[in-house]
Amino acid sequence: MRNLSLVKPASQLKEEQRHIEEILLESVGIGFFRGSVAEISGGPSSGKASLTLSIIAKLTAVGEICAVVDSAGGFDPPSAVLAGVKLENLLWVNCAGDIEKAFTAADHLVQAKGFGAIWLNLNRLPASKLKLVPKTYWYRYRTRVKDTPTLVIATADEPVTGSASQSAFVFSRERTEWSGSGRFKLLREFHIAMHSSKQFYGRPIPARLKADYRHV
Amino acid sequence: MSRSYACIVSPNAKEDKEALVSVAHQFAYSIEVLDDGILFDVSGLEHLIGKRSLIARKILEELQKHNVPGSVAVAETIETATLLARQNDGVSNVGHSPDTFQKLPLSDLPIERDTLNVFTDLGLRRVEDLIEIPREELIGRYGREFEEIIDIAEQKGSAVLTPNVKESEASWSYILDSPVEDFEQLIFLLNHGFDDLFVRIAHIGLSTEQLDLSFELSNRTKRNYEIKTSFPTLERSFWLKLINLRVSLDPPEAGIKAVNVIAHFTKPRPSQTGLYAVSRPEPQSLLLTVNKLKKLVGEENVGVPVILDQRAAEAFALDAEAMPSGRESIESGPAQPIIAFSYFRPPVRAEVLVREGRLVFLRTRYFSGHVIEYSGVWRANSKWWENSWKTQEWDVEVEAQGVYRLCKAGHEWFLIGEYD
Repeated sequence: MRNLSLVKPASQLKEEQRHIEEILLESVGIGFFRGSVAEISGGPSSGKASLTLSIIAKLTAVGEICAVVDSAGGFDPPSAVLAGVKLENLLWVNCAGDIEKAFTAADHLVQAKGFGAIWLNLNRLPASKLKLVPKTYWYRYRTRVKDTPTLVIATADEPVTGSASQSAFVFSRERTEWSGSGRFKLLREFHIAMHSSKQFYGRPIPARLKADYRHV
Repeated sequence: MSRSYACIVSPNAKEDKEALVSVAHQFAYSIEVLDDGILFDVSGLEHLIGKRSLIARKILEELQKHNVPGSVAVAETIETATLLARQNDGVSNVGHSPDTFQKLPLSDLPIERDTLNVFTDLGLRRVEDLIEIPREELIGRYGREFEEIIDIAEQKGSAVLTPNVKESEASWSYILDSPVEDFEQLIFLLNHGFDDLFVRIAHIGLSTEQLDLSFELSNRTKRNYEIKTSFPTLERSFWLKLINLRVSLDPPEAGIKAVNVIAHFTKPRPSQTGLYAVSRPEPQSLLLTVNKLKKLVGEENVGVPVILDQRAAEAFALDAEAMPSGRESIESGPAQPIIAFSYFRPPVRAEVLVREGRLVFLRTRYFSGHVIEYSGVWRANSKWWENSWKTQEWDVEVEAQGVYRLCKAGHEWFLIGEYD
């Protein structure tokens, strides 16, 4: 019983976790707190990469330095440019499918302190392999970025961060819009829904992602 | 305390400048390069070498070692040393006793031509002739400015040596008793060396952003590393970490017998921080992190993405030499998020059922499903003159799956990426 004084109430823990600065994505109506771990999970073509690029675009535009830990090596710089990312402010770490190296790379980056956002892209990596990664990694990241301006964003096909993340969203694609008819069609829009895993009774937030065919 | 100045005059002073400076550096820190030679302060060397003639002889020996012709003079004043050295222009010769100076022709002194003609008419040809004439008489006739010439003649010149040789680097080296295979064992030694080296650099108010590290190896070869940063710093622990990372990426092939470090000077970095400045990683921290990442995933896999200005299937690259700059931009991105693309590495082989010219069903080792909608075919090609490439692509939406980019190469189908 005497050790109970060391136990902090949930409200206090929540307050401690909360960093004063929030990165708001006005276009879709969600925000992420700096100094925390955020997670975006979802199936194929659910907009995980698109939303993450929007966050990175917002930060790199004001001169912040961000990093992409590209676990599977699928990062597409032209998409990033179209999303508004300033490539000169972005560090790209290509891990070519090596999960262990991806987590170690993210660890080096969170230790550097000062990055605006670190995107740990685990998309399309097999869930069976990701489950082998010790959960302590995520708590380590959370501790490392606490009280720093860094936002760690993990994207994966399935939720991976557990309670280490302060905000976690599950994305799903509601429908896809195509323009044109017959043989002459063009991909136009994804309608996605964003469910917060941290608020069980919250309604899903709808968002639309548009295709951009400009040449970069 | 009397002072001593040495002057070397050489016929090839311009060509042999480096050698002359090198010789001078062995005797003095205060060095002035002249048009026809070099001048340096050797005061105090009497206690180490002996009298001035011995110092001059020693300097001449060094000159001969460097194969530089020239004449040397050591005297109490700069003017005396310079004039004596110029007497034997082009000849390796040691000057000279004070008496020799008095035998010099008056034309060597900075006397105006007319005055010199008058002196010649009066039979005054040497320095010793001039100093016989009372000082007041000469000053009364030729003005107060002539006092300087009399001082030179009496070897009391007041010229001051103006050092004009600036060092651009400092070095530290250490020879080991026996070769060391593992570089990490030498870190403590480098730590000690950097302590000494950086104190010397800081003492002259400078900093460094480039260290040249060279190892003499047990297989009688040399291994050089050029380590640069984008900012000057004298932070010892930072340099040690950076060197350790760099050497571990490309370790020497044999045991290390000797270490030599050259630090190139640069101006120190003015540090300026602002309350409203955007937070970025410290330059040292960023550089170290990038080097750690390069060690982890390979040098070619860490860098800044760049868009290539060429028509290619994947017109982008990773610039491993570049570092994120942290530059602000006035352009803003699109208001709405756009659909991003991600590549599959390697592409996923697919089987596609085509019925009446339409894509109907798609199967891969990961999933299968009916094609709900698709667009294409998008054909592209270029470089037909060399390494030609052409693609046939479709954007396909697969039932209960995602939207992918499908590619046909010959008779085979591949999913090359996903819209996400």
